[in-house]
Amino acid sequence: MQRPLIQTGSRPRNWLVILDYVFYLVLIVAVAAFGYYLYSYSDIITLYLPFLLEAAALTIGLSVVSMVLAVIFGFIGATGRLSRFAPVRWLATVYVEVVRGTPILVQLLLWYYGVGQALSMLGFDPYNTAFQVMTALQNNSLVPDAFSAYFYGVIGLSFNYGAYLTEVFRSGIETINKGQTEAALSLGLNSRQTMRHIVLPQAIRITIPPFTNYFITLIQDSALLSVLGVVELEQTTGSFADPLLDPNKKLFIYILGALLYFVICYPLSLLARYLEARIAVAY
Amino acid sequence: MNLILQNLPDFLIGARNTLIYCAASFPFALLIGLMLALMKSSRFTWLNTPAKIFIEVVRSTPIITQLFLVYYGLGAVLANYDLAYLLNAWVAGIAVLALNYAAYEAEVFRAGFLSVERGQTEAALSLGLTSGQNFFRIVLPQAVPLMIPPFVNDFIYMLKDSAIVSVISGTELTSVLRLAVFRHPSNTFPFFALALVLYLLLSLPTSYIARFFERRLRAAL
Repeated sequence: MQRPLIQTGSRPRNWLVILDYVFYLVLIVAVAAFGYYLYSYSDIITLYLPFLLEAAALTIGLSVVSMVLAVIFGFIGATGRLSRFAPVRWLATVYVEVVRGTPILVQLLLWYYGVGQALSMLGFDPYNTAFQVMTALQNNSLVPDAFSAYFYGVIGLSFNYGAYLTEVFRSGIETINKGQTEAALSLGLNSRQTMRHIVLPQAIRITIPPFTNYFITLIQDSALLSVLGVVELEQTTGSFADPLLDPNKKLFIYILGALLYFVICYPLSLLARYLEARIAVAY
Repeated sequence: MNLILQNLPDFLIGARNTLIYCAASFPFALLIGLMLALMKSSRFTWLNTPAKIFIEVVRSTPIITQLFLVYYGLGAVLANYDLAYLLNAWVAGIAVLALNYAAYEAEVFRAGFLSVERGQTEAALSLGLTSGQNFFRIVLPQAVPLMIPPFVNDFIYMLKDSAIVSVISGTELTSVLRLAVFRHPSNTFPFFALALVLYLLLSLPTSYIARFFERRLRAAL
């Protein structure tokens, strides 16, 4: 059959479009089915959800603390990588390459079983220290049993993300036009003022979207702390699901845990996309 | 040193298994990712919405959660129907890695397709190529070189993320490491050093290849 070389008029409507309407129907049915699935396990939800929410709050708390520390590591790393002194630069490069080249799980194990044990042999134990400090404040019941795992877990997470943020900050600072620095210097600002008033405000703007993205992946990677025995969302989910004998209930709890992670992370990724779009528009 | 030499064979087997995990999952990830990308850029809602939902859900949940869900949750349900033989650490690990990375590769594919100018598609169509010919002969050949560096990058990420399989008693490098650490709890640093070096050996050459391709690509453009 000869195909017409030039199509005149509008394109013929594809019959596959009909499937769209079928799809909407299926989607409605699927959503309803998922709702019914949740509803049919409402006894499990009322039983476990409060604890899961508590654990989710802990996940968020640990992630925020880790992110703050990661920013500090990242700033130190970025200053190191932009330093005038070659050894400092090399050190920062080794930090970034080694951390980014190895799995975060191995790093967490290294912090907890390697560094943690070595330090405890030297007499430093985060749990005892925190316990004594909190005893002095008459609140030692607040210190969780697995505090050492919390401590090294948070350090491991932030050390890891510090390396990624190092690169984010460095590229943020480097993309600010060199001409601006020169203009600022020739206007009589010293290098510290240039950094503070010219480069950093613009660099921070650029780094906000990748920063948000890394925060999302940090929340997800905080699930790895469960391996160290930190009682966060993943660990709680597993510890609830494990003793259940009914496989469907077991699966349901895992789905519930995943759903909570989704509820935490998805709005953040929408926010990241919004920020990205806004920052791409401005200037 | 003696300790390292004693355990080196086990670690090498672990590193090999890590590579096997990734080499097995990555083609699947690419294939499913390509499918997802094509679905997502379709104009039909019944194709693009499922892809979008899948991508968003996978990207918004931790990979370890997905692994637990598949291995313990789904595994329990399968065992209930006497189908437990379908799922072991290998199958679950490879499936989760492949599905998880498919969501990321889909975005890479899409970005690659979008980077080929729309005018070329229009030119191809007006020259009488069908949309299938246009895709396979015009768009894809130009998009593939652009996509190679992000693919290599994602492969490196996968090498590292495959460490997660150790939580479901896989047999890759991190599992070997954890076993060794539990056997010799008083002297763990040599094992960590060995594992870190092996991971770096796996990932650094790959990243150099990626950089090489990137440089060649920049020279070509």
